[in-house]
Amino acid sequence: MASVYIPVQGTEEEVRVALDQLPADASDILDILKAEQAPLHLWLIIAREYFKQGKIEQFRQILEEGSGPEIDEYYADVKYERIAILNALGAFHTFLGKVERAQQKEVHFKEATQCYNRASRIDETEPSTWIGRGQLCVVKHDLQMASDSFKIVLDEDGSNFPALLGQASVYFLMGDSEQQHKKALDYYRNSLDLYKRALRAYTSCPAAVRLGIAFCRYKLGQSDKARQAFQRVLQLDPENIDALVALAIMDLQTNEAGGIRRGMEKMRRAFEIYPYCTLALNHLANHYFFTGQHFVVEQLTETALSSSNHGLLKSHAFYNLARSYHSKGDIETAGRYYMASVNEISKPQDFVLPFFGLGQIQLKFADYKSSLASFEKVLEVHPENCESLKAIGHIYAKSGENDKAIETFKKVTRIDPKDHQAFMELGELLVQSDWATAMEYLKTARNLLKKAGEKIPIELLNGIGLLHFEKGELEMAEQSFKEALGDGFWVSIIDGSVGSSVVNWSIQYRDQSFFQQLEEEGTPLELPWDKVTTLFNYARLFEELHDTVKASLFYRLIIFKYPDYIDTYLRLAAIAKEKNNLQLSIELIGDALKIDDKYPNALSMLGSLELQGDETWLTAKEHFREAKDASEGKDTYSMLQLGNWNYFAANRPEKKAPKFEATHREKAKELYSNVLKQHHGNMFAANGIGILYAEKAQWDIAKELFTQVHEAASGSIFVQMPDVWINLAHIYFAQGFFQQAVKMYQNCLRKFFYNTDATILLYLARTHYEAEQWQDCRKTLLRAIHLAPSNYLLRFNVGVSMQKFSASTLQKTKRTVDEVRATVSELQNAIRVFSLLSVASTYHSHGFDERKIETHIEYCKHLLDAAKVHRDAAEQAEQQNKQKMEVARQIALADEARRKAEEQRKAQLERRKQEDELKQVMQQEQHFERVKEQWKTSSNTPGKRKDRSKHEDEEGGGEKRRKKGGRRRKDQKTKAHYGEEEEDEYRDEPEAEDDYANTARSNDGGDSEKAPGHLLAAAGLEDSDAEEDDMGHPQSAIERKRRAWSESEDDEPVQRPVQPSAGENDLSD
Amino acid sequence: MKLAGLKSVDGAHEESIWAAAWVPAADHRPAALLLTGALDETVRLWAPDDLASAAASPSRGHALGVVSLAAHPAGAVAAAVSLDSYVRVFDVDSGSSVATLEAPPSEVWGIQFHPKGSALAAAGGGSGSVKLWDTEKWKPITSLAVPRPEGARPDKTGSGKFVLSVAWSPDGKLLACGSMDGTIAVYDAVRMKFLHHLEGHHMPVRSMVFSPVDPHVLFTASDDCHIHIYDAKEKSLIGAMSGHASWVLSIDVSPDGMAVATGSSDRTVRLWDINTRASVQTMSNHNDQVWAVAFRPPGGTGVRAGRLASVSDDKSITLYDYS
Repeated sequence: MASVYIPVQGTEEEVRVALDQLPADASDILDILKAEQAPLHLWLIIAREYFKQGKIEQFRQILEEGSGPEIDEYYADVKYERIAILNALGAFHTFLGKVERAQQKEVHFKEATQCYNRASRIDETEPSTWIGRGQLCVVKHDLQMASDSFKIVLDEDGSNFPALLGQASVYFLMGDSEQQHKKALDYYRNSLDLYKRALRAYTSCPAAVRLGIAFCRYKLGQSDKARQAFQRVLQLDPENIDALVALAIMDLQTNEAGGIRRGMEKMRRAFEIYPYCTLALNHLANHYFFTGQHFVVEQLTETALSSSNHGLLKSHAFYNLARSYHSKGDIETAGRYYMASVNEISKPQDFVLPFFGLGQIQLKFADYKSSLASFEKVLEVHPENCESLKAIGHIYAKSGENDKAIETFKKVTRIDPKDHQAFMELGELLVQSDWATAMEYLKTARNLLKKAGEKIPIELLNGIGLLHFEKGELEMAEQSFKEALGDGFWVSIIDGSVGSSVVNWSIQYRDQSFFQQLEEEGTPLELPWDKVTTLFNYARLFEELHDTVKASLFYRLIIFKYPDYIDTYLRLAAIAKEKNNLQLSIELIGDALKIDDKYPNALSMLGSLELQGDETWLTAKEHFREAKDASEGKDTYSMLQLGNWNYFAANRPEKKAPKFEATHREKAKELYSNVLKQHHGNMFAANGIGILYAEKAQWDIAKELFTQVHEAASGSIFVQMPDVWINLAHIYFAQGFFQQAVKMYQNCLRKFFYNTDATILLYLARTHYEAEQWQDCRKTLLRAIHLAPSNYLLRFNVGVSMQKFSASTLQKTKRTVDEVRATVSELQNAIRVFSLLSVASTYHSHGFDERKIETHIEYCKHLLDAAKVHRDAAEQAEQQNKQKMEVARQIALADEARRKAEEQRKAQLERRKQEDELKQVMQQEQHFERVKEQWKTSSNTPGKRKDRSKHEDEEGGGEKRRKKGGRRRKDQKTKAHYGEEEEDEYRDEPEAEDDYANTARSNDGGDSEKAPGHLLAAAGLEDSDAEEDDMGHPQSAIERKRRAWSESEDDEPVQRPVQPSAGENDLSD
Repeated sequence: MKLAGLKSVDGAHEESIWAAAWVPAADHRPAALLLTGALDETVRLWAPDDLASAAASPSRGHALGVVSLAAHPAGAVAAAVSLDSYVRVFDVDSGSSVATLEAPPSEVWGIQFHPKGSALAAAGGGSGSVKLWDTEKWKPITSLAVPRPEGARPDKTGSGKFVLSVAWSPDGKLLACGSMDGTIAVYDAVRMKFLHHLEGHHMPVRSMVFSPVDPHVLFTASDDCHIHIYDAKEKSLIGAMSGHASWVLSIDVSPDGMAVATGSSDRTVRLWDINTRASVQTMSNHNDQVWAVAFRPPGGTGVRAGRLASVSDDKSITLYDYS
């Protein structure tokens, strides 16, 4: 065994100190060293031995004593050993500074600097001191100073091995820090050169030098040479962990199963050799993470964390720990370790993964702001990372920033058109605003999954089903829900094959024991958690299809398997309420409140039911308030309900007090207004405010509000709001617009109530009543009675309307018998209705004043007596009217007979006229023939005669024409002139003879003395024609008569033309 | 089982048609006839399958409107209830009045003849009872009160106990009635004694009918949109059928006992398979509430196929082939 021998001063004896038996207390050995003034190199030997044995404190103690002031005094002439001690101490502090944390780190670096400074003062040119300084600068990342230090040594001795290694290391680190790739490669090449020079300077150097060469080649991309170099290192030093880890990483990077397996094997060997190798620890931890061995991961990473001060390596270690806890579901611990991981790095580019993990954790804790920041860090490094974009989109959606969310998810679909998740998210976001697009996106997601041969997630089918459902496409919705649910007990419920005993049991009993019995009988009732929502939606669909038997069974199956699913109790309560089973409804709501006694929906629902009861309406307010408090004022529905309660209270009949009413109305208005402030589009609040204005008879404001609500509700397929229709109708009624009111009531009845609501029929009847449309009023009330036969108010009203009808008819000044008969019949009906009411009042407390009914009966009887009198009178009047009508009929018949006789006479006259006309035509033709004969005779005479004959022919034609025209005019006159016409005809014949005679004389005479006479005669005839033509000119006529008269004095033949004038006189007559 | 539309008559009455009943074939009349009653205060007679008017003129005087019709099993006489609370019994062929019945002080609503025709039962309206008359001399037989169900909520106005509907079992041993509050009472019709209530409805039971093939099975129609199936003797609810969107106003069972037809305020007529408890067909040709559905009774010369008639507030009558 090794020993050192300390010479004893003044003697030749030596003290032997066995190095493996150094005393635990360094003071003992120091005493000996000092007392004997042992050579300083012995101090160093002992100090190193303590260090090797891991006794760091003793090591430090000896070195510090060895460099103390006393040493300077007693060993002043010893230089090298003193420098060596100081350098060793400096190196020690450099090491401590490297591994310690911030504050301690600085202290150690300062100590190291002081040691090196003291060494320099002893001998400024000592190379080992500069090398020590250089290494300190390397650790402090002051690479330029380090380089300067190493160069000082190399300038003196280019083969100084430690300096060569130091400078090579500096170049390598500079390469790592260099941003530009080319410059970095230059540094790596310089580093490689220096490592090679070091190898040549000291060929039997440790394998670590080849390690440097290997890393340089790796950085320069010379993978094969790098691998060879690493393997060379391992040949020389089989336990070199750095080489093992490097080769392992290169194996892992092949991404082959074999390579990965070999890589992990090397990592494991590295771990076995040196359990504190951080890089190996991190890689092993990563490996065991994926094999699910979390305990091992924890151990490995915690060891890595305690073994390294390297930020990036620690970041990786923290990341592995965080992942392990994350996958185990320990979210809080995972979050802390992710945070620690990101705190170890200066920028996301160094290591981005923990930001992603941290973002996920923060998202889970609903810390949206922090989560958003984390994911945005990931995007700084990877701008098109779809996972981060989707997470950010999700955050925007949760924060209510839907537009940003939609934009973000759209970006994802542009980057990766096959990302079905993004399409699903888009579909869900657009459900409210753009149904068609939402459906398109969801279907795209479904198609992408089908193409990929992947199972379509139940959430997607559920989403599509919901969209169809809200659109009212119930069959399509059902298909989607069925597909989503697949097989299960519910199938037998859907197709009705479930035993009738199950249905019967579920109807008779409120508990779910029949399901338990089914299970005991061997029927499996599995309901996976991820199908519950869809089953609930399917049940909701059955409600809409009015198949509440199946809906109830579904809800109860859910309760049986998941008793805390609170909404199922509320749906069952709603079904019970619709069936007027209020007791069951209240019990079910009670069950829901046992699960969560502050559930706003349950409290609101309970309040609504209580509002309907005379004994419970007061407690409704408490439950509405509790619902409002439970939702911290965010639930507008409960606020609405409180408003409704106040309005309801203001109208309670038993507390009619103006001040009381006003207070409640004011409160109601305040509540409605608050709701509208939070949600401008809340129709129910607007409707409530409209009601309050209407109560104060502010019709125009109320009407405006109701109209807006009515239009908004009409445009929405999700909101069913008959109230606003009724309210508008009330306004029309109040303002006297009865027809509009009738229309609105009727449309509301048909649209929302299948015409079954007797209350609205009552409103309608009232409107007819005010419009004095008695018969419509009556029919409406009878329909209402048919629907609600136990409502005696309706019977009373129909009696009143019949009474009114009768009274109004009797007041008319003129009444038909039928009207009066109807009045009698109606009064008899009214009396019967009132009589029945009167007697029935002994059995029912329907609120009528019996005396009032008796009054109505007496009044109707009175009217009936009057009506009978009127009926008798009307019947007598009718008889008289009949007689008058008969007389008038006889007169009419006589007139008709006369009219026919007249027609016959006219027809006879017409026939006679036609015969006469025919005769005249024949006569004219005969006359014409005679004239022609004369003409032929004349043509044989000399020229002058021929001319005369021609003139005569013309005259004759004119004469005929005149006569003919005259006859036509005569025809238009009455038969009184018929005789005159005959006379004319008679007179014509002599004229013809006259004409004939004139012609004969003319032919007989050849005497020239008579020629002028003929000319005058001709002139006279022409004048006659002229007179006829100019009858409108009396003077001309008179003149022409004078000329005619003159002519007659001159000659006898001239007198004959006067006779045609007589014809003219006849015409005048 | 299936329904097919055969014939519709629009404007069959001047106002809403509220009641329908088949008059069975008789010795002097080989085919069954259909009676309808309406708000226009008339009762009219129709001959299938072309639904030609079978009477010279409608029977008038049913003041305020006809709410229920029933035909005597022998086919000779029929009875009509009107809103003026009179029951008018008349000769089907001549329309002449046979008797005018009333049950003071209360109203009369649904009516039905005993399967052997020996009695006429009437829902007694606000009196909360069933009235019975003999059909020989039209004298009152008795009045059967409806006890209040145990645990029933207090009924201040008494409107809940208004009796709307009544039905005889085919063997004449049971008599059931339905009320506005959903109460159903069952009586021993031989001993004229109350037996028990049938629970399940909480809204008006507007129509009810016993199965022709199982004397204990009672079908009820209610404003709660449901049809319930009870074992009226064992006092148990053995089935429920839902699917109508609004009140179920009328119900009838097919002569073969395999199907139930219902008319509803939702304007539809539905056919239900009794075995599967499912709606197998929905007819939508009416434009307003369907107040009565009635299967033609078996019997009559040359009758091979079933017929179902429905009448509506829209004034129309529809006849379907049932097979």
